[in-house]
Amino acid sequence: MKIVRRDLFATLVVAVLGTATLAWGSDGFSAFTAETARRQQVLRAPRALPTAVLEDQDGRRLTLQDFAGKRVVVEFIYTRCDSVCLTLGTAFRQIHQRLPEAARDSDIVLLSISFDPQRDDPAALRSYAGRFGADGESWRVVRPLASDDLPALLAAFGVVVIPNALGGFEHNAALHLVGRDGRLSEIRDLAAVDAFLADLEART
Amino acid sequence: MNARYWLALRRKPGMFPALLALWGLLALPPVRYWLEASMTRHMIVQMPLLVAIGSALAHSLSRQQRCRIVAAAGGPLALLTLASFASTYWMMPRALDLAVASGAADAVKFVTLPLLVGLPLALAWRPLGVLGRGFVWTNLISMLVFIGWLYIAAPLRVCNSYLVDDQARAGWWMVYAAAGIFATWLGALFVGKPPATVDTPCAAGYPAI
Amino acid sequence: MADYNYVAPQEHATKGGVLAYLLTTAAVLLLMMLFGLVMRAEQAQLISIGANAFYQLMTLHGAGMVGIAGIAGAAIMWHFLGQYVRLSTTVLYANLALFLVGVAMAIGAVFIGNFHGAWTFLFPLPGNSMGLWSNEAAATFLAGMLVLGTGFLLFQLDIARALIATYGGLGRALGWPQLFGHDDGKAPPPTVVASAMVTVVNIVALVVGASILAMMLVNLYYPEFAIDPLLAKGMIYFFGHVFINATIYMAVIAVYEILPRYTHRPWKANKIFLLSWNCSTLMVMFIFPHHLLMDFAFPKWMLVMGHVIGYLNTFPILIVTGYGALILVYRSGIVWDMASRLLAVSMLGWAAGAMPAFIDGTIRVNYIMHNTLWVPGHFHTYLLLGMVAMVFGFMYYVTKPAAQHKDALIDRLAYWAYVVGSFGFALAFLYAGKESVARRYAEHLPAWVPYDRIGTAFATLVVGAALVFVGRFIARLAHARSAHLRAPAPLGVAA
Repeated sequence: MKIVRRDLFATLVVAVLGTATLAWGSDGFSAFTAETARRQQVLRAPRALPTAVLEDQDGRRLTLQDFAGKRVVVEFIYTRCDSVCLTLGTAFRQIHQRLPEAARDSDIVLLSISFDPQRDDPAALRSYAGRFGADGESWRVVRPLASDDLPALLAAFGVVVIPNALGGFEHNAALHLVGRDGRLSEIRDLAAVDAFLADLEART
Repeated sequence: MNARYWLALRRKPGMFPALLALWGLLALPPVRYWLEASMTRHMIVQMPLLVAIGSALAHSLSRQQRCRIVAAAGGPLALLTLASFASTYWMMPRALDLAVASGAADAVKFVTLPLLVGLPLALAWRPLGVLGRGFVWTNLISMLVFIGWLYIAAPLRVCNSYLVDDQARAGWWMVYAAAGIFATWLGALFVGKPPATVDTPCAAGYPAI
Repeated sequence: MADYNYVAPQEHATKGGVLAYLLTTAAVLLLMMLFGLVMRAEQAQLISIGANAFYQLMTLHGAGMVGIAGIAGAAIMWHFLGQYVRLSTTVLYANLALFLVGVAMAIGAVFIGNFHGAWTFLFPLPGNSMGLWSNEAAATFLAGMLVLGTGFLLFQLDIARALIATYGGLGRALGWPQLFGHDDGKAPPPTVVASAMVTVVNIVALVVGASILAMMLVNLYYPEFAIDPLLAKGMIYFFGHVFINATIYMAVIAVYEILPRYTHRPWKANKIFLLSWNCSTLMVMFIFPHHLLMDFAFPKWMLVMGHVIGYLNTFPILIVTGYGALILVYRSGIVWDMASRLLAVSMLGWAAGAMPAFIDGTIRVNYIMHNTLWVPGHFHTYLLLGMVAMVFGFMYYVTKPAAQHKDALIDRLAYWAYVVGSFGFALAFLYAGKESVARRYAEHLPAWVPYDRIGTAFATLVVGAALVFVGRFIARLAHARSAHLRAPAPLGVAA
């Protein structure tokens, strides 16, 4: 009987520790996927972003830090994409169109960042901009220039890009908001354009 | 593989170097990257192999050593609970992503799957009896079908590191594995029990393991 | 031919656990019969409870009756199998406890949460209530079924454990050495063979059932994890059909054990007996598609399989058991008391109930008949006059005060009321089905009402008879606790 009691007690201890571990590993049973975890972490603690030199569709150089004091909406793309990323482009177009005229450029800038800089030269970026109606000022399509800037950028945003069988890529596509302080402060689902716009308005 | 073979295994302490070698092989970067490059290979091949290494490790220990571990852990039920929590952790898509993204996390996986899942499961196995083992098997089978379906039906990728069709393929493999395990287990029930062993209970009073 | 010698099995006292099962059965069965009577009276327009209440009762009536059939069958199997193998009393009680928790959850879901998506919880109905019940109500009902299933799984695993410990494997418990080799007359007794069959099919059914229940629970809260409705229907009907079929294969053990005691003749587990039980072990898992014959989207091979195997499976065990019972009883001078009468009529009810299913299993007929009252007609004959008659027979048997005890007039009257009531009740369903009266309708057309009124009258008779049976069982409960000779010796046989 004594050993049964001992076993039951040990089981209880293991169960408590195990539950605690699972809770720790899933942020209190709220994030079972890396994507959910990334979104929640950013909301809790906005992230600083690296200084990466970017080149836009017209060959101009810029960094994320150039937009200090403004808010930046960021998406990650590759211009050859012909599947899910089309939704991403369309979502961005909707956001761009529905922003108040006064806020565009002066307050909010849209950036589409390519993670395929070898192939996406300014000409490719320009054609992407044309396809979705990016004006090149309040919505710019860019690529990182230095080769080690891309991994740093992706890591900071928490974006994972993997090649697929069709010669393209799969990646965790989402809408990213960089605040006036230059920190990544919110990540929203592609389908949540309305909620994203509402947040933009509410937070001014 | 018949019961006699397994009984022979349990008397063989010389297995330890071979297990270590297999573990080392799996940990070799090219092998590791290749197995972890696909969700199917990661979940259906690498992780079960790591668990199997832990179970085999239990069989390479002497009876006294096994008894000592069971006594230290508190008993068979505690070991079974440990194995279920540890395996549940590595079933989380987020843990899988982490293992791919971070070498340290993968190292933790390489240590915990054998030592916290395979080993405790093997030590708790015999004292569980047909009823307890049947309950573990049937739970495993329905969980595999359930998680397999989750992966097949998920409207989006649950792991950032894996392609969506790889995810569905892994889901199907879980369903196949469930069917295979079900058939094997039920078949074993039809054939019956392995020859009785004469293991005496542990000195501390725990049932023979 | 092998040599069979009849050795009268030791009469043993009924275990407290088995009596707890039977008392639970009596309580739930009566309540569910009352629900059924209210439903028939509603259709007959004798009372007016409204469609919502009707579907609440229908949901509980279905789930409760299937569950209680399982519990009653389990009690019979456990009681008799315990003579041959060592079973765990702890697991027996654990199953009952989990059953009661599951039933409480189902009742709460229906009466508090207003869930009324039918006991079959057919996907996607539980998650699409159009606001009539909440996701929580549906989840509670599904989780209740999961708890109930877990109990039965433990129960079956314990039976598997005990069979393997004594016979060395389920194959041996199913008599494979005698079936495939020389029949040395040492095949396991019919009780063991039947228990092994039930164990195999129920374990498979319960694992499949648990999987689909878990899937539906996730789908309730995360509908984006879509379930293929055809897959869901296949899995649910596989689980439900195998489980309800298994209840009669458990209950028939009462026939195998009690009739030999009355006739002093052995029930032989010969090659034909073993063959039929082994065939049914396989076939019973493949007949569920006869519920899917109207779903043209199912693969054709599945429907044809359901048709063919449905035909085939109607016969083996039924014929072997019915014929075996006749051989046993013929010129045995058997004494007819309540137990032997109910067991004999159960064979008739089983056979009569299988016929409408046989007819309905024909694809052409099924298109027209399956959604009519013909189908409730089938399973009410089969369950009420077959399965439940076996249970009542068993109740009379275990509480019999002495071998030579004579039945009272009220018992004999109740017996005839039960037989006539059940037949009339089932025929009212069957005839209405033939007239294309839709099943699962709370409100009936005026033209259908006469059949409903006839059905209601017979249902009242059945409920009255069941009240007598249960009352007698409870009054005589103490006799079940003592070990004594219960079966009267047949005429001309030295007891």
